[in-house]
Amino acid sequence: MGLKVKIDRMPRKKIPGSSIIYLPSGKYLKYAASGYSSLLADIIYLWSIQYYSDYNISDRFDYLDHIFSIIAELDPHYLDPYEIGAIIAVYEAKNFDKAFKILDRGLEKNPDEWIFPFQAGHYAQMIKKDYELAQKYYKKAMEIKGSPALIQRLYANAAFKATDFQTAWKNWVEIYQTAKDERIKKIASNHLYQVKAAIDIQAIEGAIKRHIEHYGHNPLNLAQLVREGMLNSLPQDLDGKDYVYDPDTGKVKSATIPWKR
Amino acid sequence: MKIIAIAFNTFKEAIRDRILYLLFFFAAISIIFSRVLALLTVGDRIKIIRDVGLASLSFFGVLMAILIGTGLVYKEIDKKTIYSLLSKPINRYQFLLGKFFGLIFTLFIMLLLMSFIYLVLVFFHTFEIEWETFPTIFFIFLELCLITAVAIFFSCFSTPILSSVFSLAFYIIGHFSWGLETLINKIKPGVGKTLVQILYIFIPDLENFNFKTEIVHNLPIPSHVYLFSISYGIFYTLFILLLAMLVFRRRDFI
Repeated sequence: MGLKVKIDRMPRKKIPGSSIIYLPSGKYLKYAASGYSSLLADIIYLWSIQYYSDYNISDRFDYLDHIFSIIAELDPHYLDPYEIGAIIAVYEAKNFDKAFKILDRGLEKNPDEWIFPFQAGHYAQMIKKDYELAQKYYKKAMEIKGSPALIQRLYANAAFKATDFQTAWKNWVEIYQTAKDERIKKIASNHLYQVKAAIDIQAIEGAIKRHIEHYGHNPLNLAQLVREGMLNSLPQDLDGKDYVYDPDTGKVKSATIPWKR
Repeated sequence: MKIIAIAFNTFKEAIRDRILYLLFFFAAISIIFSRVLALLTVGDRIKIIRDVGLASLSFFGVLMAILIGTGLVYKEIDKKTIYSLLSKPINRYQFLLGKFFGLIFTLFIMLLLMSFIYLVLVFFHTFEIEWETFPTIFFIFLELCLITAVAIFFSCFSTPILSSVFSLAFYIIGHFSWGLETLINKIKPGVGKTLVQILYIFIPDLENFNFKTEIVHNLPIPSHVYLFSISYGIFYTLFILLLAMLVFRRRDFI
């Protein structure tokens, strides 16, 4: 007993990551599992949790996709590893491609699970800030039966952030019209206000830019743009209020903050 | 009646076997250990408990079937008790069937006890009795019946050690056979492919009794799959038993 403790305490050199070099592909492991592939998937998953908790293995993320692809091959319907694998890829490895690959695999093996495109969309929108990609994933999630209504709101918001105002407007109108409670209606209304303001401000700022190109200075007020034919009419926000214009900076903003309406 | 008498005696003999209790002890430890393993996971703990629990039922059940089954006939021959048995008005097939049913009954009791431990453990997690697990346990039992028949078949003409190795090989091949499908698709048409196809038809497919993953994930299983698997299990067991009877009938004990 004493000897065992003594030997365990002796420092020995190890090759980082060497423990998984011999891990074969999931396809072959499934054959070797002899009917216990689900159990083997559990064992590898439990081991991977310990493996990725060890900060001494500097190159541990190199094998991330390999390890989680094995688990997916052994037990394709085991949902936790896809989610945890993606979390490790995003927050620890800072590798979005690996995270999306793991989540894409999750969806491929479980086409009824909206959680995978939803999570991919969430990472794309909140962390990677790739709103077009987020839109793509949210759209996939929305199309899956049983997905929560929240995803359409996230999709509309991602479309807005990707400056796809038409899609954002169309979806927020749909959300507003189909909303079953007042809270969601109010949220949709605020977003519609925001989208309309963004469209209007984009048009006004375009006219201001043309005015500057022509006259070399900011217009005195927005009505001047209509008089000069640079705007057909002066748009108003969703509440019928005029947009606020600062002639010194040439910036336009809505009269109200959307969330304080 | 004679078969029942032999089966009852086989049961009494099997429950006196220490190896049965040793395996049962390890099975119980393994099922309970699943609770500890579940603590290490991130996510659904009950999935780990179900996987480890059902795998323990199957694995230790198979070990019981092989280790006890392979010794059943051999012991009688080795201790020469078979002479006094077969000198009585008992047919050899009755002797074999009695041995088979006796061990099946023993395994049934063991599986029942192991399932009880498993279900109690699951109950403490979910606070409900998982009735949907019973078909899986039934198919594990069906697989055990087939393995028992195989073990008895080998024990008719071989030593317990060799019979155990053969039975274990049968079990492993049985779970590998679906891999032959992949091989068939990869082999170019010709003699090799035809041989593999013939092998694929004859080799048992024990995956037909494996519904563990489906049950753990609550996946729907069509009733005709159950029906075909039950039929497959019964017919394959009967086929092996028939082979065992043929071998045993020709066996000379002198």
